[in-house]
Amino acid sequence: MSDTAAIEVRGLRREFRVRQGMFAPAKHVVAVDDVSFSVPAGSVLGVVGESGCGKSTLARLILGLLEPSAGDVLVDGRRLGGMDRRARARLIQPVFQDPFASLNPRRRIRDIVAMPLIAQGDIGREDIARRVAEALDRVGLSQDQGTRFPAQLSGGQRQRVAIARALVLRPRIVVCDEPTSALDVSVQAQILNLLAELRRELGLTYLFISHNLAVVEHIATEVAVMYLGRIVERGESERLFAAPRHPYTRALLASVLTPEPGLGVPDVGLGDIMPDPANIPPGCRFHPRCPIAVARCSTEAPRPATDQAGLVECHLA
Amino acid sequence: MSALLEVQGLRVTIGSTAAVRGVSLSVNKGETHCLVGESGCGKSITALSVMGLLPKGSLRETQALRFAGEEIGRYDERQMERLRGDRMAMIFQEPMTSLNPAYTVGSQMTEVLRRHRGTPRAQAVDRAAELLARVGITAPGLRLGQYPHQLSGGLRQRVMIAMALMCDPELLIADEPTTALDVTVQAQILRLLAGIQKDLGLGILLITHDLGIVARIADRVSVMYAGEVVESAPTAALFAAPEHPYTRGLLSCVPVPGKVKRDEPLGSIPGVVPRIRPGFAGCGFRDRCSRASAACAGAIPRRNAGDSHEVLCTLEPGWGGKAAA
Repeated sequence: MSDTAAIEVRGLRREFRVRQGMFAPAKHVVAVDDVSFSVPAGSVLGVVGESGCGKSTLARLILGLLEPSAGDVLVDGRRLGGMDRRARARLIQPVFQDPFASLNPRRRIRDIVAMPLIAQGDIGREDIARRVAEALDRVGLSQDQGTRFPAQLSGGQRQRVAIARALVLRPRIVVCDEPTSALDVSVQAQILNLLAELRRELGLTYLFISHNLAVVEHIATEVAVMYLGRIVERGESERLFAAPRHPYTRALLASVLTPEPGLGVPDVGLGDIMPDPANIPPGCRFHPRCPIAVARCSTEAPRPATDQAGLVECHLA
Repeated sequence: MSALLEVQGLRVTIGSTAAVRGVSLSVNKGETHCLVGESGCGKSITALSVMGLLPKGSLRETQALRFAGEEIGRYDERQMERLRGDRMAMIFQEPMTSLNPAYTVGSQMTEVLRRHRGTPRAQAVDRAAELLARVGITAPGLRLGQYPHQLSGGLRQRVMIAMALMCDPELLIADEPTTALDVTVQAQILRLLAGIQKDLGLGILLITHDLGIVARIADRVSVMYAGEVVESAPTAALFAAPEHPYTRGLLSCVPVPGKVKRDEPLGSIPGVVPRIRPGFAGCGFRDRCSRASAACAGAIPRRNAGDSHEVLCTLEPGWGGKAAA
């Protein structure tokens, strides 16, 4: 597996120290807890979970924007820790949620897209101009739009700029963190179609983080479900959506409101206790909300079990 | 039966933008009417106009704006204040911005009742506790003494709903009430709203961009585009036989689990939402519409496409055959 894996993560852990009050002692919050997986080249791993589950921390670890507390991230077979920043930028690039916040408002679009090339330090001017033009073309922006400023573009166009900037170094892997969450549905569809097309044509690998399960089902080949820092279920997309094994996955899927009239709003059966990363319950961390928990779940933490259908971490699965 | 809320020919101009261009809609008692559309279509402005909460400098015109049979279009600010939070309540997207961080949940909730009804404090506290329990909050006594920042997003939105119910409103206007929440919490909040509506028989005007929410809780849907209601129909009819090209486009954009295959492109609507200036004529969607013709630059007929199903389009109803999958 590891020779073809575009991303491989082994025992990844990240803690944060947080204070919940001015005089309260600092607490350790484990945002990502012993996460391991590998993503084969050319596939899309979708990561889903509620806010606070650690999915964005995971994205930042894989991008090398955060140092892991423990464990390793291998990108294209090479350890990310200690890798030169420029080499890392040629391998893996991000696309973030908010195209309004991630583009410098004072720079022209073509200069924004050129930044990663300039940062490499050894690419000539003409080369840069040519590759920026190519990247704009690739994402469906005109050269004229390249001369404008971010404020002159719509949300969808700005997200295209962010994608062009991510692609200009021809990386192998793109980490998309909620890339369509700030967009209207009609624009979201355009961006999803673009991402799918780019993956096919350029053979890209995506780590695709989203809270929108319908979007993930549409684009991901494999899905990981995170709950309070751990992957509680992982599997091939079709299997996971058709036959979820973890009660949390089932609840997540049940809460998707598909545009089918007459079905009403489902009872997801999770109660009103909210997950708190600063107070992880003993035993299975999902047990306080789990509709099928038994006594054992509150004392003994389940271990991940792996088989052909993927991974699941539940005493009852 | 006369409608609880009746809006006719609502026009709002803000600066050089015609934000709402002749919207008519009604909400009956016990009915959920969803106003759906993308950002900038004028759905929130429509809601704010009804409540008399438009930003300064905006110009509102209506042919009629009736609440419970009474024309409120000419109400002054004091009269509107008496109505808001009392017979007409509202919930916004981000409860953190509508709750005052400096006051406890209890004092904010009881203020509504004390202000509108002059209810004594102790009685108002009882009512607040009762409603917190009604919206599924365990240990309401504890929550009443807490500040908004001590609550999770889902709890805050429940508090907002409970607060909106303090004076037994007849109409609830909810603007994207679950957009900031996780899907699991969203389902809980929407279930709660549906349950409350059934029990109390209130009329709900719900503003959303999410067609999933519309399908699951609306009795009636109005689709807005560029300041106009381009299609309005009972929910089942709208999803089974959408008529307006925009509605059809919007429905095809939504990935539906189990229906759309991976790597098969989703439907999408090319182009971007136009900014409509005062004096604009014709259909606001024509630049993005694949069926547009010269007629679309003229006056657009409002056509009847079935039982209380109306569409604002030059195309004959039934032009596209059965619904796009």
